[in-house]
Amino acid sequence: MIEFRNLVKRFGDRTILNGLNLKIHEGEIVFILGVSGTGKSVLLKTLVGLLSADRGEIWIDNEEVTHFSEEQYLSIRKKCGMVFQHPALFESLNIFENVAFGLRRHLTLSEEAIQNQVNESLRLVHLVDIQNKYPAQISYGMQKRVSLARTIALKPEILLFDEPTTGLDPITTTAVNNLIQNLSRSLKTTSIVVSHDMNCALAIADRIVVLDGGQILFEGTCEQIRRSEVPLVQEFLLEVGS
Amino acid sequence: MSLVTEIGSQLLFLRKLFLTMVQKPLKIHEIFVQIWKITVDSLLTTAMAGFFVGAIMAVQFGLPIREFDALAYLGGLATSGTFREVGPLLIAFMLSGKVGAYTSAELGTMRVTEQIDAVRCLGADPLQEIVLPRFLGIVISSFFLLAAGLMMSVLGGMLMAQAFAGIEPEEYLRHIPRILNPISIVSGLVKCGCFSLLLASICTHKGYFTTGGAKGVGRSVVATAVTTMVGIVAVDWLTSFLGEVVMIAFQGYR
Repeated sequence: MIEFRNLVKRFGDRTILNGLNLKIHEGEIVFILGVSGTGKSVLLKTLVGLLSADRGEIWIDNEEVTHFSEEQYLSIRKKCGMVFQHPALFESLNIFENVAFGLRRHLTLSEEAIQNQVNESLRLVHLVDIQNKYPAQISYGMQKRVSLARTIALKPEILLFDEPTTGLDPITTTAVNNLIQNLSRSLKTTSIVVSHDMNCALAIADRIVVLDGGQILFEGTCEQIRRSEVPLVQEFLLEVGS
Repeated sequence: MSLVTEIGSQLLFLRKLFLTMVQKPLKIHEIFVQIWKITVDSLLTTAMAGFFVGAIMAVQFGLPIREFDALAYLGGLATSGTFREVGPLLIAFMLSGKVGAYTSAELGTMRVTEQIDAVRCLGADPLQEIVLPRFLGIVISSFFLLAAGLMMSVLGGMLMAQAFAGIEPEEYLRHIPRILNPISIVSGLVKCGCFSLLLASICTHKGYFTTGGAKGVGRSVVATAVTTMVGIVAVDWLTSFLGEVVMIAFQGYR
């Protein structure tokens, strides 16, 4: 289970997260929605220690990780795989080495085991025969899927997606959303998806959280959100015609 | 950001880099890749610049020396001046415009496209994997480029001396060992080391801490170019001044 308790994060004078409290249960797919600048990505980055919280607590599996050192966070980052808004592939490495990057650093595996793991991860995201290509030689949508393959190669217990469909065409968006759902269910992971895509959230989320002003404005199941009368939530619903 | 904060942040970054260098294994292959890339990419421009600097030095020294009927010493004087001062300064400016700006843009882009965050999430240290190889690559390459630039400057000076002062190449080269003393060589090497350290630390620091998307990358590149140019001139003065002080204090050198 993941729990944020009274989390505060500031950048200079700007308060991004303002005493946020949230619990995420094992195996859940939780979508976090909100307009830009409400701290959705910041929330994910504080969870894996890429940003440090100014106040409050972060708990993962009954362990407080808020003040972990960079070394201590290694085990958390192995447990929590993060898919970034950008594909964030390393341009000097081919696709195989990109997917193998985390395996070589987090685990001690034989070359054969790494090869198998890379093949399996790429197969799960429906990519074959691209291992020797470089990121610049494949499309943006494929780069996003390679990024996902790189994350799931480590078999994380928790998957974090930071706007996974931003910049993708509708067909690839649907494909990536299906991947998120299928992977989360088949790998039995807890998934947190930061997104603007209410359509997708309604289709695959177990629970939807709407952030505003660094706090939770609404939290509930898809049915509850459809019945919500909160103006911002209604605006999101209007976008998808629900 | 105030100047004091900027310098403090730069020094803390250097301290982190140094600790990473001594505490974690170096990525030797990646360092060699960077040395090769920087040296090969900058060799032609550095060699050309070195050639013409040698030629300019020969012309500039040639005019006053002719009046004293001491043209035989032209090679020694021009080469010594290039080794001590102009060579290292030239290499530093070349590297600043080419490698410094490139490294800053490369690291800045990696930062804003979340590659550096991805490295951390995948269990690696970005300082060890990405920054340190580039830092060491710049410092080590600058010595290779200095050697290439200086050799070409001797060639340029020699050809210019033959074409405009009628000095035979053997005559031009004969007095170089007499005038180019170890102090000149050490001075050139120390300056080259200081300039490259300054350049490497500024461009990696500016690139690594880039914020604000594509505009931020542009800002980092401009800041790198401006800061390194000013810094190199300031460090040049400082090393010359300290060099003189040290020489006078320990050897009575004039």
